[in-house]
Amino acid sequence: MAMAALRREGRRFAPLISPRPITAFRSSPLAPTREDEGPIGVRYISTQVVRNRMKSVKNIQKITKAMKMVAASKLRAIQTKAENSRGLWQPFTALLGDTPSVDVKKNVIVTVSSDKGLCGGINSTSVKISKALHKLNSGPENETKYVILGEKAKAQLVRDSKKYIELIITELQKNPLSYTQVSVLADDILKNVEFDALRIVFNKFHSVVSFLPTVSTVLSPEIVEREAEAGGKLGDLDSYEIEGGETKGEILQNLTEFQFSCVMFNAVLENACSEQGARMSAMDSSSRNAGDMLDRLTLTYNRTRQASITTELIEIISGASALEG
Amino acid sequence: MASNAAVPFWRAAGMTYITYSNICANLVRNCLKEPYKTEALAREKVHFSISKWTDGKPEKPNDV
Repeated sequence: MAMAALRREGRRFAPLISPRPITAFRSSPLAPTREDEGPIGVRYISTQVVRNRMKSVKNIQKITKAMKMVAASKLRAIQTKAENSRGLWQPFTALLGDTPSVDVKKNVIVTVSSDKGLCGGINSTSVKISKALHKLNSGPENETKYVILGEKAKAQLVRDSKKYIELIITELQKNPLSYTQVSVLADDILKNVEFDALRIVFNKFHSVVSFLPTVSTVLSPEIVEREAEAGGKLGDLDSYEIEGGETKGEILQNLTEFQFSCVMFNAVLENACSEQGARMSAMDSSSRNAGDMLDRLTLTYNRTRQASITTELIEIISGASALEG
Repeated sequence: MASNAAVPFWRAAGMTYITYSNICANLVRNCLKEPYKTEALAREKVHFSISKWTDGKPEKPNDV
């Protein structure tokens, strides 16, 4: 009887000396539960569950930190390109003006979004603005169609605006963005879609933490003619002299095609910058949340560990006092 | 509206101004000397996947 108690005592000492390997050994063949009952009646609370959770949260924190740094480096690379591309469309706006309030029959909304996720809310804001534009521009004689760039907007718009979609373009960023790529894309859009006005919705990159959704409007040559008669900026077009053997209509057509291509180039670049910036801040807040979670889990772990040690001590002491008394 | 001057040859062939300028840019790139030429041509690769939708149904996507 005494020998059995001593043997029990000896076994109870062993977990106290080296709790970790024993728990690791015990919990793998047996099902780990919050309170483990070992084979000889040793009772202690398992910290395995909490430890697994801590390991996975730490891994997630490392991954999100790495993603943030990758996004930061990609942002630096593409930001110079975006800022240089701003000079392409500014002369067009100076010449032809940007008239979002123009009233036309055939609107086409080009929504620029990203292919990859984990970039915060920028794609949702673009889609929200596109839907609002659609509502604003649909009337009895007007029709509005979508051209979608990027997987994320596609997923959102396919759900409820299926019949308004004209074209979907994905995998745009497989090669680094260049004017050739975007101009071929713009050309495809021009060939496949009839439009009076194109409204391009994208996120303009102001700084690493601020991306504002913007709409750029490009009009077709016929509408430019129509608006020119109405006066205003476009009406001053007649004061320009045209060299060469082309007519004004000819030149307007070339200009609008080129304007669309330039504006698309700028829009795609700015959206890519905003995507990387949003991803940076999303991954940053994710790492911070993971850090907080890790702190809380560490506290729980220590509490559990101390409680199990206290239980051990109590059992040993009561067992020893039972032997004496 | 009838055009008074003759339509330029590329527009008569069905190209847009963008296609025309891309072809011209490619010609200029082909005039570069050797190390820069391969770099420039590698830089200007185009890839995207476009799919046309009709009546709420997608058609098979084509890769460019």
